[in-house]
Amino acid sequence: MARSHERRPVWVGVVTFVALATAWYALTTLTHTIGSGRFPSPAETWDALRQITLTGYADARLAEHVLHSVKLVLLGFAAAAIVGVPLGLAMGASRAFEAFVNPAFLLIRPIPPLAWIPLAIVWLGLGDAAKVLIIWFAAFVPALINSYSGVRAIEPYLIEASRMLGVQRTMYAREVMIPGALPMIFTGLRLSLQACWTTLVAGELIGAIAGLGHVLYQASLDIFPAMIVVGMAAVAITGAVMTMALGWVERRAMPWRRG
Amino acid sequence: MNRTIAAIASAVALGFAATGGHVQAQPLTEIKVSYQPALYWALPFYVAAEKGWFAELGLKPEFSTFPAGVPQIAASASKSWDVGGTGSVPATLGAVRYNLLTIGITNDESYGNALVATAKTADGFVKNPASIKGQTIVLTANSTGDYAVQSCLAKWGLKKSDVTIKSMGQAEIISAMSSGNADLGGLWAPNTYTMEEKAGAKQICSGQDAGAAVPGALIVRADYAKEQPQSVAKFLAVYLRAWKWLNAHQPEAIAMMKKFYEQGGVTISEASMKKEFATRPTFDLAGQLKIMNRPAGGGSEVDGWFTKIGAFMQANGTFPEAPVASKFITDEYMKMVDADPKLKAFANRAD
Amino acid sequence: MSATVASRELPFARWLALTTTGFVAFFGVWWAVAMSGLVLPQFLPTPLAVLEKFVSLTQAPFVGYTLQRHLASSFGRFALGFGLAVAIGVPLGLLMGWFRTLDAVVTPLFDALRFVAPIAWVPFAALWFGTGIGGPVLIIFSGAFPPCLINAYRGARYVEPRFLEAAQTLGASHWQIITEVLLPASVPSIVAGLRIGAGLGWQSLVGAELIVASSGIGYLLVKGQASISTAIVMSGMIAIGIVGFAIDALLRRVERQINRRRGL
Repeated sequence: MARSHERRPVWVGVVTFVALATAWYALTTLTHTIGSGRFPSPAETWDALRQITLTGYADARLAEHVLHSVKLVLLGFAAAAIVGVPLGLAMGASRAFEAFVNPAFLLIRPIPPLAWIPLAIVWLGLGDAAKVLIIWFAAFVPALINSYSGVRAIEPYLIEASRMLGVQRTMYAREVMIPGALPMIFTGLRLSLQACWTTLVAGELIGAIAGLGHVLYQASLDIFPAMIVVGMAAVAITGAVMTMALGWVERRAMPWRRG
Repeated sequence: MNRTIAAIASAVALGFAATGGHVQAQPLTEIKVSYQPALYWALPFYVAAEKGWFAELGLKPEFSTFPAGVPQIAASASKSWDVGGTGSVPATLGAVRYNLLTIGITNDESYGNALVATAKTADGFVKNPASIKGQTIVLTANSTGDYAVQSCLAKWGLKKSDVTIKSMGQAEIISAMSSGNADLGGLWAPNTYTMEEKAGAKQICSGQDAGAAVPGALIVRADYAKEQPQSVAKFLAVYLRAWKWLNAHQPEAIAMMKKFYEQGGVTISEASMKKEFATRPTFDLAGQLKIMNRPAGGGSEVDGWFTKIGAFMQANGTFPEAPVASKFITDEYMKMVDADPKLKAFANRAD
Repeated sequence: MSATVASRELPFARWLALTTTGFVAFFGVWWAVAMSGLVLPQFLPTPLAVLEKFVSLTQAPFVGYTLQRHLASSFGRFALGFGLAVAIGVPLGLLMGWFRTLDAVVTPLFDALRFVAPIAWVPFAALWFGTGIGGPVLIIFSGAFPPCLINAYRGARYVEPRFLEAAQTLGASHWQIITEVLLPASVPSIVAGLRIGAGLGWQSLVGAELIVASSGIGYLLVKGQASISTAIVMSGMIAIGIVGFAIDALLRRVERQINRRRGL
């Protein structure tokens, strides 16, 4: 979280985790203060993890669920980036275009992605398309807004300089505008990805046959707390990994930025 | 005469509630009742509350509603409710997970849980059930609808693996089917009627058609039952009386049903509402005792129904071992009502 | 989004014309598709049908309450969850920004939990809280808490070192440093965090209410779906959008005021 120059004492974090793990074990297995109907014990969670990894749960094994979820997220994310980034750049570059598109954007934007679920089913049915649509709605807005801000935040002197030197439109876009907006574009993409991931679970409530959201839904229908915990952990870990991957791409794409 | 006493009792009870307990009257025992809105078997709760019958027996109900059986069962873990009604499938799940007891039968809803097909595909499936192979069926997992559908499949010699089952809430099922995005769905009444009236769908096989008895259950938390057996018995007496009244006063019953269903966002025709009454038998005190009676060393009729349901859920993978019906189904509280002359008379009143 | 200009400003008349055209185009396309007969009325009701339904929902109750009361019910839950997120997140963030040890203890926990989608907490909310208000509040809290915490933390961590040095030279206590240096310096960051948190919290609430609720605007949406009334669903969506927009606009205003007073 902090990109500070002082190292946080790592051992404190380790100790905290160990303390929590001990408390978890004590409260559930040793003293039964928390019944297994309300929160699973470490042993039950481990069993559930083994079940879903080896034999499978909710019609597939853990690896298949993760793959299916990641596939949907990447599809929605890509679709949102492909539409949102150019649109945001165009809106940032041209006031006229912005004035035309803004009304539609302002009307659609406040509606939470999940509120689109009923309509998505009616429009696209129960397949992947409906889920990707929901995820798209979640990711589109940050991508667009940040691309827009990125263009708007370009130092005026760069724009003036390009104008003075008579730089062509396309060259301006390629050499000045896009690199200038890139940091904010990536911030937008990072937010998009997080939004995609958090919306995914809700999206997979629409009759999925695999995916981490489906696992959570099935586990809640079976009232299987241990599997719910496994599902939540899987969601968290996959989300973290994807965010880190994006961070890596970001650093490679913008080597001139330090931290 | 009875009505006057009832009116005075209600007035006193209300007065007590209004003045916050300063009146020297019998204090009302609070009891938390859970159910699902706009369902036929929940109608007695509404009627009883409207008519003040809970208060007559010294109970003050606090209602909580849930969109389906599973969240209702899950909420019992935090003691959000004490007694209630639910489907037999969630009731079995509750017995296994949270030690919920089944103490009575709300209704026989075998007809009201069915496999429904869209207008354009229904006839085809009815003529040739084998064509259901390879299709997708949308249903709500771990529900009476689920049970009815899988029983129908079994009746036609189809296996669960012959079809693709997608699980989702009833609202999503209705949406998907009515917009042409799904052809087959497992629904329970009144959603079946909503689909018939508003989307032209047809019920092609119910639990009844498949020979699967689908009861609804009256449930209670085991520890609450131990702490307050009297309240549980009173609760049963109120419920039974409400059904007696509903069955004896059809026109008014339909009117109250309309209001109750509307509160839950459901509007169906009067014909469909009448059909609910016609196709879903209920049981009075004597009837309940009969079907729950265990002859020496044997199981009751209710035990038989729930054993089949338990086996179904086990086959589904919901739990490793099916629960033993005699362990969580008990007629102890019905017997309490029967043994107490006051409660027995109350439960048999049809006015 | 301050106007460090990327293109020349539009004359007002032109801006108005374009905005109006955009507006009209949006409703025009909607209306055309709905009326074209290409799609069922259930698929896409006309804008007028939706407006009529919206108005009727404010007058006649649906699933127990009018539209406004459903909204009020949802908003009450939101206020509670959001209030909690702010009350815990902001002070905790500031403290973590100042005390390294606290940071070291909390951050790993926080990082582990923050990637869990708020919706994923719904199954547990039912188990832990049952029907109480605790369930929705937990969901909203899980959505709103991270931005509140992170922004307060960042604000505190990246305070100008010379302010801190000055305070420490003058012999300020921990409490004084936090309340009189860190807090004022972090206000812009905190308010930005509140705005983001509010948006996420409102969205999480809707999601939770779609799954397990017996009142509220999300519940209205689900019941509209079950009645095969897309007009009700869209009315609900509009209502949700309006409230979400209002919350955001209000907080944006606060943000602008604060930034203006600081000359930013």
